[in-house]
Amino acid sequence: MDKKYLNPYIGGVLLGLVLLAANFVSGRGLGATGALRDTIATGVRAVAPSHYNNAAYYSENYAMRTERPMNSWLVYQMLGLITGGFISGIIAGRTKLTTERPSWVSSRRRLFFALAGGILFGYGSQIGRGCTSGSALSGMAVLSFGGFITMMAIFGTAFALAWFFRKNWI
Amino acid sequence: MQKINPRILLAIILIPMGLIIAMVPEDMTGSRKVSTEQILQEIASGSQFVSPDEIAGMIVENNPVLQLIDVRSSNEFENFSLPGAVNIPLTAILSPEWRDILDQDVKINVFYSNGSVHANEAWILTRQQGYLNNYVLQGGLNYWMEAIANPDPPSDLSPDEEFARYDFRRAVNSALGGEAVERAAEAPPPPAMPAIRPRERTPVVQGGC
Amino acid sequence: MGPLIVFEAISPATNLMLAFFIGIGFGFVLEQSGFSSSRKLAGMFYGYDTTVLKVFFTAAIVAMTGLLFFSLFGWVDLDMVYVNPTYLTSAIAGGVIMGAGFILGGFCPGTSFCAAAIGKIDAFVFIGGLFIGIFIFTEGYPLWESFHNAGFMGSPRVNEMIGLSQGVFAFLLILAAFGMFWAGEWAEKKFAGNYRS
Repeated sequence: MDKKYLNPYIGGVLLGLVLLAANFVSGRGLGATGALRDTIATGVRAVAPSHYNNAAYYSENYAMRTERPMNSWLVYQMLGLITGGFISGIIAGRTKLTTERPSWVSSRRRLFFALAGGILFGYGSQIGRGCTSGSALSGMAVLSFGGFITMMAIFGTAFALAWFFRKNWI
Repeated sequence: MQKINPRILLAIILIPMGLIIAMVPEDMTGSRKVSTEQILQEIASGSQFVSPDEIAGMIVENNPVLQLIDVRSSNEFENFSLPGAVNIPLTAILSPEWRDILDQDVKINVFYSNGSVHANEAWILTRQQGYLNNYVLQGGLNYWMEAIANPDPPSDLSPDEEFARYDFRRAVNSALGGEAVERAAEAPPPPAMPAIRPRERTPVVQGGC
Repeated sequence: MGPLIVFEAISPATNLMLAFFIGIGFGFVLEQSGFSSSRKLAGMFYGYDTTVLKVFFTAAIVAMTGLLFFSLFGWVDLDMVYVNPTYLTSAIAGGVIMGAGFILGGFCPGTSFCAAAIGKIDAFVFIGGLFIGIFIFTEGYPLWESFHNAGFMGSPRVNEMIGLSQGVFAFLLILAAFGMFWAGEWAEKKFAGNYRS
């Protein structure tokens, strides 16, 4: 495979140290979907304030917050994530506008599955209160029972379904 | 000189570390129940009490971590309650439906009743379960009405701090709409904040992803 | 004594700034490890590339061991570190739905942003899907509110559930992780043929 990537064990140690730093500084782990949820809440509030105040989810989860939902720890962390990914891509010379896919998969098909996967992941992350980074990885680091359960459910399901979608990947 | 395999190197470092961690005695007990001695100590030190001024300040700021909990009966709650309070009658304090609210590390829960007695009972019951971040409003509603809703003006000879506190309470009062019943839409910032003692334990911010 | 924000060693504004820098570290490491490539991520489930497994579990055991040692030295109060609560029903259901999203989309949320940052169009589309999925959840919240809150167990730690001390469980998890790494190396040799360009 690609030799330009960092050795996975070294990458893992570095990621572990980042996660440790997050817990040491802020008493919480890493997350990705929380920032999106806050962004959506902000967007809904801007577009349809009356709906925002009446819809159960927003009023329950954002009622006590006077500041903008966007002004949150997870949003800043997400901006950092994008910045960090971009810096790394520049250094490694991997920035390129492209749809990554195996040669036998059409662009349209790849994008369709990416969209479907995104919808499922977005919805599932809210049902399960956190995604791979927020619930599974951060949860495992603090030995959260729920984190382990979510991790096993994610990877178990992906393995179980891998065979049915093999045409997309191998 | 051959480069050592990172996986082997990681194993050489991490497995002994894991062994050390497995060997040292656990500093946190598995059970979260709190011993009676410890609770008695906490009661003696009065660390569960928060002053009305502190709560008022948090209400004015619209502080998102504050959750007032009214432990009186639902009738009394209907008649009068502090802004943003939820009603959990003392008789139902340990019922499973409220556990989410009482056993958490996100918000600061403050119990109140007419005096301090019932709120304190609620605090003791929840503390025995090992719940953290629950406090008691000092003096209850009776004292609140005196201290916040109708503060005595300080005499001319009292130190500046008294004046500041009086001004602050007046500000709270106007922010709370005079009778501390309805939350005002846009609370003006208090002109002077009383010294709020640093809390030993502030809640952990909500995690999640 | 950490967490710094909890013990008021840093201001909320500093906390947000540090969140940004922690994010930079997070994104940088993800991209350097190859998590910006959906084919590399999906390789996990076909055996030809187990980078995900190695990075994920190495990170988990390093952070876990670090936290336990920090706690041992009194540098961090573990009671003050956020442990995500367990809602058994929704944790399993959410995980299953996410697992399906993983194999269809080839990304998870964090890695999709990392991939979008270096110009992967499929990652942008995946992120669009994330927004749609979350929006569906928040708008239809009353429909699945009770399901979302079912199976609440508090915030138990996994070692409590199986009756081990944290240290012993941590040690076993480290051993299990190395077992998985070994299996991963084996799989990569065995299934290398699965990767075609």
